[in-house]
Amino acid sequence: MTHEDDWLTLEELCTACAVEREWVIARVREGLFPAAGATVEEWRFGAAALRRARRMRGLERDFEAVPELAALVADALEELDALRARLRRAGLE
Amino acid sequence: MQFRDYYETLGVARGATAEEIKRAYRRLARKYHPDVSKEPDAAERMKEINEAYAVLSDPEKRAAYDRLAAGHRAGEEFHPPPGWDAGFEFSARDFGPEAFEFSDFFSELFGRMGARAGMHRGDHYAKILLDLEDAYRGATRQVTLRVPHLDPHGRLASAARTLEVRIPQGVREGQILRLAGQAPSGDLLLEVQFRPDPRYRADGRDVHLTLPVAPWEAALGAVVPVHYPGGQLNVRIPPGAQSGRALRVRGKGIPSQPPGDLYLHIQVVVPPADRARVRELYEALARETAFDARRQWSEQHR
Repeated sequence: MTHEDDWLTLEELCTACAVEREWVIARVREGLFPAAGATVEEWRFGAAALRRARRMRGLERDFEAVPELAALVADALEELDALRARLRRAGLE
Repeated sequence: MQFRDYYETLGVARGATAEEIKRAYRRLARKYHPDVSKEPDAAERMKEINEAYAVLSDPEKRAAYDRLAAGHRAGEEFHPPPGWDAGFEFSARDFGPEAFEFSDFFSELFGRMGARAGMHRGDHYAKILLDLEDAYRGATRQVTLRVPHLDPHGRLASAARTLEVRIPQGVREGQILRLAGQAPSGDLLLEVQFRPDPRYRADGRDVHLTLPVAPWEAALGAVVPVHYPGGQLNVRIPPGAQSGRALRVRGKGIPSQPPGDLYLHIQVVVPPADRARVRELYEALARETAFDARRQWSEQHR
Protein backbone atom coordinates (compact mmCIF):
# COMPACT_ATOMS: atom_id res chain seq x y z
CA MET A 1 0.00 0.00 0.00
CA THR A 2 2.73 2.43 0.91
CA HIS A 3 5.70 3.20 -1.31
CA GLU A 4 9.18 4.09 -0.15
CA ASP A 5 8.36 7.74 -0.90
CA ASP A 6 5.30 7.73 1.34
CA TRP A 7 7.27 7.12 4.50
CA LEU A 8 7.19 9.91 7.02
CA THR A 9 9.96 11.11 9.30
CA LEU A 10 9.18 11.71 12.97
CA GLU A 11 8.73 15.44 12.36
CA GLU A 12 6.38 14.85 9.44
CA LEU A 13 4.31 12.43 11.50
CA CYS A 14 4.07 14.95 14.34
CA THR A 15 2.91 17.70 12.00
CA ALA A 16 0.36 15.43 10.34
CA CYS A 17 -1.36 14.58 13.61
CA ALA A 18 -0.57 17.62 15.75
CA VAL A 19 1.41 15.78 18.45
CA GLU A 20 4.71 16.60 20.11
CA ARG A 21 7.91 14.71 19.29
CA GLU A 22 8.05 13.49 22.90
CA TRP A 23 4.53 12.07 22.62
CA VAL A 24 5.61 9.72 19.82
CA ILE A 25 9.01 8.90 21.31
CA ALA A 26 7.50 7.90 24.68
CA ARG A 27 4.95 5.60 23.02
CA VAL A 28 7.53 3.97 20.77
CA ARG A 29 9.80 3.37 23.79
CA GLU A 30 6.86 1.81 25.70
CA GLY A 31 6.20 -0.50 22.78
CA LEU A 32 2.76 1.03 22.15
CA PHE A 33 3.65 2.37 18.76
CA PRO A 34 5.70 0.61 16.09
CA ALA A 35 8.63 2.38 14.47
CA ALA A 36 11.05 0.99 11.87
CA GLY A 37 14.67 2.16 12.24
CA ALA A 38 17.37 1.94 14.87
CA THR A 39 17.66 5.57 16.01
CA VAL A 40 15.05 8.29 16.36
CA GLU A 41 16.50 10.02 13.27
CA GLU A 42 16.13 6.83 11.23
CA TRP A 43 12.55 6.12 12.29
CA ARG A 44 10.14 6.03 9.38
CA PHE A 45 6.36 5.78 9.59
CA GLY A 46 3.85 4.57 7.03
CA ALA A 47 0.16 5.24 6.46
CA ALA A 48 -0.88 2.66 9.05
CA ALA A 49 1.28 4.38 11.70
CA LEU A 50 -0.25 7.74 10.83
CA ARG A 51 -3.76 6.32 11.27
CA ARG A 52 -2.74 4.71 14.56
CA ALA A 53 -1.19 7.92 15.89
CA ARG A 54 -4.35 9.88 15.09
CA ARG A 55 -6.55 7.28 16.72
CA MET A 56 -4.45 7.08 19.86
CA ARG A 57 -4.22 10.85 20.17
CA GLY A 58 -7.99 11.15 19.70
CA LEU A 59 -8.71 8.50 22.33
CA GLU A 60 -6.31 10.06 24.83
CA ARG A 61 -7.75 13.50 24.27
CA ASP A 62 -11.47 12.73 23.93
CA PHE A 63 -11.73 10.17 26.73
CA GLU A 64 -8.64 11.02 28.76
CA ALA A 65 -7.52 7.46 28.10
CA VAL A 66 -4.11 6.44 29.49
CA PRO A 67 -1.69 5.61 26.62
CA GLU A 68 -1.91 1.86 27.28
CA LEU A 69 -5.71 1.91 27.00
CA ALA A 70 -5.55 4.04 23.84
CA ALA A 71 -3.09 1.51 22.37
CA LEU A 72 -5.37 -1.38 23.33
CA VAL A 73 -8.36 0.25 21.62
CA ALA A 74 -6.18 1.06 18.60
CA ASP A 75 -5.16 -2.64 18.45
CA ALA A 76 -8.82 -3.67 18.53
CA LEU A 77 -9.73 -1.16 15.81
CA GLU A 78 -6.85 -2.36 13.60
CA GLU A 79 -8.06 -5.92 14.07
CA LEU A 80 -11.53 -4.73 13.06
CA ASP A 81 -10.08 -3.04 9.95
CA ALA A 82 -8.30 -6.27 8.99
CA LEU A 83 -11.43 -8.40 9.46
CA ARG A 84 -13.55 -5.97 7.46
CA ALA A 85 -10.98 -6.07 4.66
CA ARG A 86 -11.14 -9.89 4.67
CA LEU A 87 -14.94 -9.79 4.53
CA ARG A 88 -14.79 -7.46 1.57
CA ARG A 89 -12.26 -9.63 -0.25
CA ALA A 90 -14.50 -12.67 0.39
CA GLY A 91 -17.38 -10.68 -1.12
CA LEU A 92 -19.33 -10.84 2.14
CA GLU A 93 -19.69 -7.13 2.76
CA MET B 1 -23.13 31.36 6.30
CA GLN B 2 -25.41 29.52 8.69
CA PHE B 3 -25.36 30.06 12.41
CA ARG B 4 -24.35 26.98 14.42
CA ASP B 5 -25.72 26.36 17.87
CA TYR B 6 -22.89 24.51 19.59
CA TYR B 7 -24.91 23.97 22.78
CA GLU B 8 -27.63 22.26 20.77
CA THR B 9 -25.02 20.09 18.99
CA LEU B 10 -23.74 18.78 22.31
CA GLY B 11 -27.21 18.76 23.90
CA VAL B 12 -26.21 20.87 26.89
CA ALA B 13 -27.68 23.99 28.51
CA ARG B 14 -26.07 27.37 27.95
CA GLY B 15 -25.03 27.55 31.57
CA ALA B 16 -23.44 24.06 31.54
CA THR B 17 -20.26 23.57 33.53
CA ALA B 18 -17.00 22.45 31.92
CA GLU B 19 -17.56 18.97 33.42
CA GLU B 20 -21.07 18.69 31.95
CA ILE B 21 -19.77 19.71 28.54
CA LYS B 22 -16.98 17.16 28.72
CA ARG B 23 -19.40 14.37 29.72
CA ALA B 24 -21.81 15.23 26.90
CA TYR B 25 -18.94 15.30 24.42
CA ARG B 26 -17.64 11.88 25.50
CA ARG B 27 -21.07 10.32 25.31
CA LEU B 28 -21.49 11.61 21.74
CA ALA B 29 -17.89 10.81 20.77
CA ARG B 30 -18.54 7.20 21.76
CA LYS B 31 -21.86 7.07 19.92
CA TYR B 32 -20.56 8.57 16.68
CA HIS B 33 -16.97 7.32 16.72
CA PRO B 34 -16.42 6.77 12.97
CA ASP B 35 -14.51 3.51 13.50
CA VAL B 36 -17.35 1.72 15.23
CA SER B 37 -20.55 3.72 14.86
CA LYS B 38 -23.48 2.15 13.02
CA GLU B 39 -25.14 5.55 12.57
CA PRO B 40 -25.34 6.37 8.84
CA ASP B 41 -24.06 9.95 9.19
CA ALA B 42 -21.51 9.19 11.93
CA ALA B 43 -18.52 10.87 10.26
CA GLU B 44 -20.47 14.05 9.56
CA ARG B 45 -21.95 14.17 13.07
CA MET B 46 -18.51 13.54 14.60
CA LYS B 47 -17.13 16.59 12.75
CA GLU B 48 -19.93 18.75 14.13
CA ILE B 49 -19.41 17.38 17.63
CA ASN B 50 -15.65 17.99 17.49
CA GLU B 51 -16.22 21.51 16.25
CA ALA B 52 -18.73 22.30 19.02
CA TYR B 53 -16.40 20.86 21.63
CA ALA B 54 -13.38 22.78 20.29
CA VAL B 55 -15.29 26.00 21.04
CA LEU B 56 -17.20 25.14 24.23
CA SER B 57 -14.28 23.39 25.96
CA ASP B 58 -12.10 26.48 25.61
CA PRO B 59 -13.10 29.28 28.02
CA GLU B 60 -11.73 31.99 25.72
CA LYS B 61 -13.59 30.80 22.65
CA ARG B 62 -16.71 29.96 24.62
CA ALA B 63 -16.94 33.47 26.09
CA ALA B 64 -16.55 35.10 22.67
CA TYR B 65 -19.10 32.69 21.17
CA ASP B 66 -21.61 33.33 23.98
CA ARG B 67 -21.45 37.05 23.41
CA LEU B 68 -22.00 36.55 19.69
CA ALA B 69 -24.64 33.83 19.94
CA ALA B 70 -27.20 35.68 22.05
CA GLY B 71 -30.46 35.82 20.10
CA HIS B 72 -29.38 33.59 17.18
CA ARG B 73 -30.75 30.20 16.25
CA ALA B 74 -29.15 27.25 14.46
CA GLY B 75 -29.47 27.33 10.68
CA GLU B 76 -30.23 31.04 10.60
CA GLU B 77 -28.35 33.11 8.00
CA PHE B 78 -25.61 34.81 9.92
CA HIS B 79 -22.69 37.18 9.52
CA PRO B 80 -20.62 38.25 12.50
CA PRO B 81 -20.74 42.02 13.07
CA PRO B 82 -17.40 43.78 12.63
CA GLY B 83 -15.38 43.82 15.81
CA TRP B 84 -17.54 41.14 17.48
CA ASP B 85 -14.50 39.59 19.15
CA ALA B 86 -12.80 42.84 20.08
CA GLY B 87 -11.67 43.11 23.67
CA PHE B 88 -11.19 39.37 24.27
CA GLU B 89 -7.74 38.10 25.03
CA PHE B 90 -6.75 34.79 23.42
CA SER B 91 -3.69 32.62 23.79
CA ALA B 92 -1.78 31.25 20.81
CA ARG B 93 -2.84 27.71 20.09
CA ASP B 94 -3.79 25.58 17.15
CA PHE B 95 -6.73 23.28 16.75
CA GLY B 96 -5.02 20.24 15.28
CA PRO B 97 -5.54 18.86 11.81
CA GLU B 98 -9.28 18.23 12.38
CA ALA B 99 -9.89 21.97 12.28
CA PHE B 100 -9.49 21.94 8.50
CA GLU B 101 -12.74 19.99 8.36
CA PHE B 102 -14.67 22.43 10.52
CA SER B 103 -17.44 24.57 9.06
CA ASP B 104 -17.16 27.97 7.38
CA PHE B 105 -18.90 29.31 10.46
CA PHE B 106 -16.05 28.10 12.64
CA SER B 107 -13.31 29.32 10.28
CA GLU B 108 -14.90 32.73 10.00
CA LEU B 109 -15.13 33.09 13.77
CA PHE B 110 -12.07 31.36 15.10
CA GLY B 111 -9.92 30.51 12.08
CA ARG B 112 -7.73 33.53 12.53
CA MET B 113 -7.35 33.19 16.26
CA GLY B 114 -4.96 30.29 16.07
CA ALA B 115 -1.59 30.58 14.44
CA ARG B 116 -1.16 34.17 13.27
CA ALA B 117 1.79 35.53 11.42
CA GLY B 118 4.38 36.66 13.92
CA MET B 119 2.66 34.95 16.84
CA HIS B 120 4.74 32.69 19.01
CA ARG B 121 3.84 30.11 21.60
CA GLY B 122 3.06 31.95 24.83
CA ASP B 123 1.88 35.10 23.07
CA HIS B 124 -1.62 36.37 23.65
CA TYR B 125 -3.78 38.08 21.10
CA ALA B 126 -6.69 40.49 21.23
CA LYS B 127 -8.51 42.80 18.88
CA ILE B 128 -8.98 46.40 19.93
CA LEU B 129 -11.40 48.98 18.59
CA LEU B 130 -10.01 52.45 17.97
CA ASP B 131 -11.44 55.64 16.57
CA LEU B 132 -10.10 56.75 13.24
CA GLU B 133 -9.10 60.00 14.93
CA ASP B 134 -6.53 58.02 16.95
CA ALA B 135 -4.77 57.02 13.73
CA TYR B 136 -4.49 60.66 12.66
CA ARG B 137 -3.11 61.98 15.93
CA GLY B 138 -1.69 59.02 17.78
CA ALA B 139 -3.04 58.49 21.27
CA THR B 140 -2.66 56.76 24.58
CA ARG B 141 -5.71 54.66 25.26
CA GLN B 142 -6.90 52.64 28.21
CA VAL B 143 -7.86 49.27 26.78
CA THR B 144 -9.88 46.83 28.86
CA LEU B 145 -9.51 43.21 27.84
CA ARG B 146 -11.65 40.38 29.11
CA VAL B 147 -9.72 37.25 29.98
CA PRO B 148 -12.16 34.33 30.15
CA HIS B 149 -11.41 31.44 32.48
CA LEU B 150 -13.20 28.77 34.48
CA ASP B 151 -14.10 29.36 38.11
CA PRO B 152 -13.49 26.60 40.72
CA HIS B 153 -16.96 25.17 39.92
CA GLY B 154 -16.15 24.84 36.23
CA ARG B 155 -18.40 27.74 35.26
CA LEU B 156 -17.37 30.30 32.74
CA ALA B 157 -16.16 33.55 34.27
CA SER B 158 -14.09 36.41 33.02
CA ALA B 159 -11.66 38.80 34.59
CA ALA B 160 -11.02 42.24 33.17
CA ARG B 161 -7.63 43.83 32.91
CA THR B 162 -6.88 47.35 31.82
CA LEU B 163 -3.79 48.40 29.96
CA GLU B 164 -2.39 51.70 28.82
CA VAL B 165 -1.66 51.35 25.14
CA ARG B 166 0.24 53.89 23.11
CA ILE B 167 -1.35 54.12 19.68
CA PRO B 168 1.22 55.35 17.15
CA GLN B 169 0.14 57.96 14.63
CA GLY B 170 -0.54 56.38 11.24
CA VAL B 171 -1.84 53.08 12.57
CA ARG B 172 -3.94 51.16 10.07
CA GLU B 173 -6.70 48.60 10.27
CA GLY B 174 -5.29 45.10 10.58
CA GLN B 175 -1.98 46.31 11.96
CA ILE B 176 -0.59 44.42 14.97
CA LEU B 177 0.75 46.30 17.98
CA ARG B 178 3.12 44.10 19.96
CA LEU B 179 3.26 44.76 23.73
CA ALA B 180 6.39 43.01 24.92
CA GLY B 181 6.05 40.91 28.05
CA GLN B 182 2.34 41.59 28.54
CA ALA B 183 1.28 37.93 28.39
CA PRO B 184 2.14 35.47 31.19
CA SER B 185 4.85 33.87 29.06
CA GLY B 186 5.11 36.01 25.96
CA ASP B 187 3.92 39.18 24.30
CA LEU B 188 0.44 40.58 23.88
CA LEU B 189 -0.47 41.18 20.24
CA LEU B 190 -3.21 43.72 19.63
CA GLU B 191 -4.87 43.81 16.24
CA VAL B 192 -6.23 47.22 15.35
CA GLN B 193 -9.77 47.59 14.11
CA PHE B 194 -11.59 50.88 13.67
CA ARG B 195 -14.88 51.40 15.43
CA PRO B 196 -17.64 51.61 12.82
CA ASP B 197 -18.45 55.28 12.26
CA PRO B 198 -21.40 56.49 10.17
CA ARG B 199 -19.27 59.39 8.87
CA TYR B 200 -15.94 57.79 7.97
CA ARG B 201 -14.56 54.59 6.51
CA ALA B 202 -10.89 53.66 6.22
CA ASP B 203 -9.53 51.61 3.35
CA GLY B 204 -5.88 50.99 4.07
CA ARG B 205 -4.29 54.44 4.26
CA ASP B 206 -7.19 56.12 2.43
CA VAL B 207 -10.22 57.49 4.19
CA HIS B 208 -13.67 57.92 2.66
CA LEU B 209 -16.49 60.14 3.80
CA THR B 210 -19.81 61.25 2.41
CA LEU B 211 -20.08 65.01 1.89
CA PRO B 212 -23.60 66.45 1.80
CA VAL B 213 -23.86 69.36 -0.66
CA ALA B 214 -26.71 71.79 -1.44
CA PRO B 215 -27.94 71.83 -5.07
CA TRP B 216 -26.58 75.37 -5.69
CA GLU B 217 -23.20 74.41 -4.22
CA ALA B 218 -23.06 71.46 -6.60
CA ALA B 219 -24.24 73.47 -9.62
CA LEU B 220 -22.28 76.67 -9.10
CA GLY B 221 -19.27 75.36 -7.22
CA ALA B 222 -18.40 76.43 -3.69
CA VAL B 223 -15.84 76.25 -0.97
CA VAL B 224 -17.27 74.27 1.95
CA PRO B 225 -15.88 73.34 5.37
CA VAL B 226 -15.34 69.60 5.84
CA HIS B 227 -14.90 67.82 9.18
CA TYR B 228 -12.64 64.83 8.79
CA PRO B 229 -10.86 62.65 11.38
CA GLY B 230 -7.80 64.92 11.22
CA GLY B 231 -9.80 68.08 11.98
CA GLN B 232 -11.35 70.52 9.55
CA LEU B 233 -10.43 71.72 6.09
CA ASN B 234 -11.97 73.84 3.34
CA VAL B 235 -12.69 72.04 0.11
CA ARG B 236 -13.52 73.53 -3.27
CA ILE B 237 -16.51 71.89 -4.94
CA PRO B 238 -16.10 72.26 -8.71
CA PRO B 239 -19.11 73.69 -10.60
CA GLY B 240 -21.37 71.00 -12.03
CA ALA B 241 -20.65 68.41 -9.32
CA GLN B 242 -23.06 65.52 -9.10
CA SER B 243 -24.06 62.97 -6.47
CA GLY B 244 -21.85 59.93 -6.50
CA ARG B 245 -18.80 61.79 -7.71
CA ALA B 246 -15.75 61.61 -5.42
CA LEU B 247 -13.28 64.40 -4.79
CA ARG B 248 -9.81 63.37 -3.78
CA VAL B 249 -7.91 65.45 -1.24
CA ARG B 250 -4.33 64.34 -1.58
CA GLY B 251 -2.41 63.49 1.56
CA LYS B 252 -5.31 63.95 3.99
CA GLY B 253 -5.85 60.25 4.62
CA ILE B 254 -4.09 58.42 7.44
CA PRO B 255 -0.65 60.02 8.02
CA SER B 256 2.30 57.89 6.94
CA GLN B 257 5.11 57.89 4.38
CA PRO B 258 3.47 58.54 1.94
CA PRO B 259 0.18 59.60 3.59
CA GLY B 260 -3.14 58.26 2.36
CA ASP B 261 -5.75 60.32 0.52
CA LEU B 262 -9.13 61.57 1.66
CA TYR B 263 -12.06 60.82 -0.64
CA LEU B 264 -15.18 62.97 -0.39
CA HIS B 265 -18.21 61.32 -1.92
CA ILE B 266 -20.60 64.04 -2.97
CA GLN B 267 -24.24 63.64 -2.05
CA VAL B 268 -26.55 66.38 -3.25
CA VAL B 269 -29.22 67.02 -0.62
CA VAL B 270 -32.44 68.64 -1.83
CA PRO B 271 -34.04 71.28 0.46
CA PRO B 272 -37.65 70.43 1.35
CA ALA B 273 -40.37 72.53 -0.34
CA ASP B 274 -42.05 73.18 2.96
CA ARG B 275 -42.83 76.88 2.45
CA ALA B 276 -44.80 78.64 -0.27
CA ARG B 277 -41.81 80.77 -1.32
CA VAL B 278 -39.52 77.73 -1.71
CA ARG B 279 -42.21 75.95 -3.67
CA GLU B 280 -42.44 78.98 -6.04
CA LEU B 281 -38.68 78.93 -6.56
CA TYR B 282 -38.71 75.21 -7.42
CA GLU B 283 -41.58 75.78 -9.87
CA ALA B 284 -39.71 78.70 -11.45
CA LEU B 285 -36.58 76.55 -11.74
CA ALA B 286 -38.56 73.78 -13.38
CA ARG B 287 -40.07 76.21 -15.93
CA GLU B 288 -36.81 78.03 -16.67
CA THR B 289 -34.55 75.00 -17.08
CA ALA B 290 -36.97 72.48 -18.64
CA PHE B 291 -34.60 70.00 -17.09
CA ASP B 292 -35.23 66.27 -17.62
CA ALA B 293 -33.43 64.36 -14.88
CA ARG B 294 -34.14 61.05 -16.60
CA ARG B 295 -33.18 61.84 -20.18
CA GLN B 296 -29.92 59.95 -20.17
CA TRP B 297 -31.49 57.20 -18.08
CA SER B 298 -34.42 56.68 -20.49
CA GLU B 299 -32.05 56.67 -23.49
CA GLN B 300 -30.11 53.87 -21.83
CA HIS B 301 -33.28 51.95 -21.12
CA ARG B 302 -34.87 52.32 -24.51
